[in-house]
Amino acid sequence: MATIGTSLETEERELEPRDAMAASGGIPWWERNLAWLLVAPTIVLLIVFAIVPTIMLVRFAFSQVLLQRGGIKTVGVGFDNFARALQDPLVHDAVGITLRWVVVVTTLEVLLGLGLALLLAGNVRGRGIFASLLIIPIIMPPVAVSVAWLFAYDYTFGIFNYLLEQVGLAPVRWLSDPAIALYSMMAVDVWQATPFVFLLLYAAILSLPRDPYEAAAIDGAGRWHVFRTVTLPLLGPVLLVVVLLRFIDAARAFDKIYVMTRGGPGTSAYTMTLTIYNEAFAKFDFGYASALSFLFQIVMIVVGTIYVKRALADYSAPAE
Amino acid sequence: MVGESRFEWWAKHLAIAAIAILILLPVYWMVNMSFKDKAEFIARPPTIVAQAPTLDNYYDLLVTQKFYRYGINSLEIAIIAATLAVTVGTMAAYALARFRLPKNFHYHLLFTALTVRMFPPVVTIIPIYALYTTRIFGFRLVDTQIGVGLAHGFVEIPLVIWMMIGFFRDIPRDMEEAALVDGDSRFAVLRKIAIPLAAPGLAATFILVFISSWNEFLMALILTQSKAQTLPIAVAGQITQYDIRYGNMMAAGVVTTVPVLVLALLAQRHLTRGLALGGVTG
Repeated sequence: MATIGTSLETEERELEPRDAMAASGGIPWWERNLAWLLVAPTIVLLIVFAIVPTIMLVRFAFSQVLLQRGGIKTVGVGFDNFARALQDPLVHDAVGITLRWVVVVTTLEVLLGLGLALLLAGNVRGRGIFASLLIIPIIMPPVAVSVAWLFAYDYTFGIFNYLLEQVGLAPVRWLSDPAIALYSMMAVDVWQATPFVFLLLYAAILSLPRDPYEAAAIDGAGRWHVFRTVTLPLLGPVLLVVVLLRFIDAARAFDKIYVMTRGGPGTSAYTMTLTIYNEAFAKFDFGYASALSFLFQIVMIVVGTIYVKRALADYSAPAE
Repeated sequence: MVGESRFEWWAKHLAIAAIAILILLPVYWMVNMSFKDKAEFIARPPTIVAQAPTLDNYYDLLVTQKFYRYGINSLEIAIIAATLAVTVGTMAAYALARFRLPKNFHYHLLFTALTVRMFPPVVTIIPIYALYTTRIFGFRLVDTQIGVGLAHGFVEIPLVIWMMIGFFRDIPRDMEEAALVDGDSRFAVLRKIAIPLAAPGLAATFILVFISSWNEFLMALILTQSKAQTLPIAVAGQITQYDIRYGNMMAAGVVTTVPVLVLALLAQRHLTRGLALGGVTG
C-alpha cells in the first residue's frame, strides 16, 4: 500500500519446522496441517457470507422471488428484471445521483484534505493536537453526525438559517428543497471524510524523502514549482489509493441520507444503495433488487479490484 | 518551510485554528444543545453555553424511553463481532505471516478477502437476509444479536488479517525460532510467544472492529426488527417528519459517540494503519 499504513515489503523467511521429526511422523496431524487449520475458519466464513450469497444473488436476479411463511420461493423469469432495470426512470436517476454524489464528494474531500495536509506539513505549532482532534469526526457514528447536522439544517430552529437571518438573508430549505437537499447532505459527508483524507495524506507527506526537496531548494525552485515537480509525483501512488478508497466509500452512500431525509424530498436523493434498499425492503421485490445489485456489483468490482491490486502491490508472501 | 515571513506564519496558524474550530463546531453544538431545557433550546439568540444545564434529555432518552436497551444490544453485537473477527482473522494472519502455503495462495486469499471487503454491503445483504429468515436447525438468525454480530464480524475479518499480518511481522522471529528449537510445537509458539508479543496490536484491532460494528447502519437496519435493534437504528427511528424531539436527539448523538471516542483515544496510535481499510464503512 505504497506508504500508507502497514508496509509489508519485508522479505520473509519461513520458520523451519523440525524436519527430522516430521519425517519420522512424530508430529500429530493437526500440527502438520496447522497452517491450513488456521486459515480454514476464514475460508468457511468467506463461503458462507460471500460466495453463497453471491450465488443466491445471481439466482434471485433471474427470478421472481416470493417471500412466504416457509421461506423463499423463486420462479425463473429470465432477463425480465434486467430489462426492467434498463427502462426504469428511477434507476436512471439513481445512476445520475450516485455519480454526482461520488464525483463532487470525492473531489472536494481529496482537494481539501490535500490542502490541509500540505498546510500542516510545514513548521506548524500544535499540529499533533490538531491531528488528534480530527479523529473525532472520522470515528463518529454516522447517525450522530446526521442528527447533529439535521438540527443545524432545521428551517425554524437551525443555526444556519439563524445566521442567514442575522445578515439579512432569506432562510433556506436546506433539506426540504429537492434542488438543495442532496448538496446539503454532501456537505455533511465532506465534513466527516475530509479529516480522513487529511490523516492518510498527512502521514504520507511526513514520510516523503527529504533529498529531492533539498535539491530543489539548491536550484532555487519556487514553491508551486516544487509542489508540481516533487511533491505531487511522490505523492501520486498514495493519492490514487485515497481517491479509490473515497470513491468506493462514496458510491455506497446510505446512512446519512437515510437518516436525514430517507432519500427525499421525494426521490431526489435516491442513490443506488437507497434505490436497492427501497426495492428490496420497502417493496419486498427481491428479484428486481437483486438484478440492480448485480449490475451495481459489477461496476464496484472493477473499482474494488483496482484498489486491492494497488493495496497489495508491495505485498510479498514468506519466501519459498 | 524556508523563507517564511512573520505575516505568513501568523496567517497559516490562524487559518489552521479556524479550520479546527469549523470542524469541531458541529460536535460542540450537539453537546451544548443536549444539556438545554425546552425553553432554552429554541431561545433566540441561541446561548453559546447552556445557561441552566439539565440532564432531562438524557433521562428522558435513556430511562423513560428505555434507550439503554439498544445500548446493551449494540454492546453485545460489537463484542460478538470483534471477538469473532479478531479470533478468525488473527489465525489467518499468523498463517499468512509465518507459514509456507502453496504458491500464490497467500496472495489469492488476501486478494479475495480484501475484494469482498470492497463490495457495497447492500448487495450481499439481500441474500444474507434471505438466509437469516430461513429456519436452520429450528433457529432463525434474523433479529438476533448473534446474527448481526456474525455479519459485522465477517465484514471486518479482512481488516483484522491486514492489520495483524503487520503486527506479526513486526515481531522478531528469533524468539519463535528459539522456542521451536527447544521443542515447542508451532501451535505452542503461536499461543505462548506470538500472541502475547502482538497483544497491543490485537487490542487496537479489537477496538477498531468494535467501533466499526458500533457505528454500522445498513446491515443492522435490515437484520434487526425490534429485539436486537442497535443504538444507531433506534436513534434514526426517533426521527419523524412531524415531530422531531431535538433535545432527545442531541442527547442520543452524544450517547452514541462517547463510547467510540473513548475507545478511539486508546487505539489512536494504530488508527491510521487501520483506517486505510477501516475507513470504508457503512
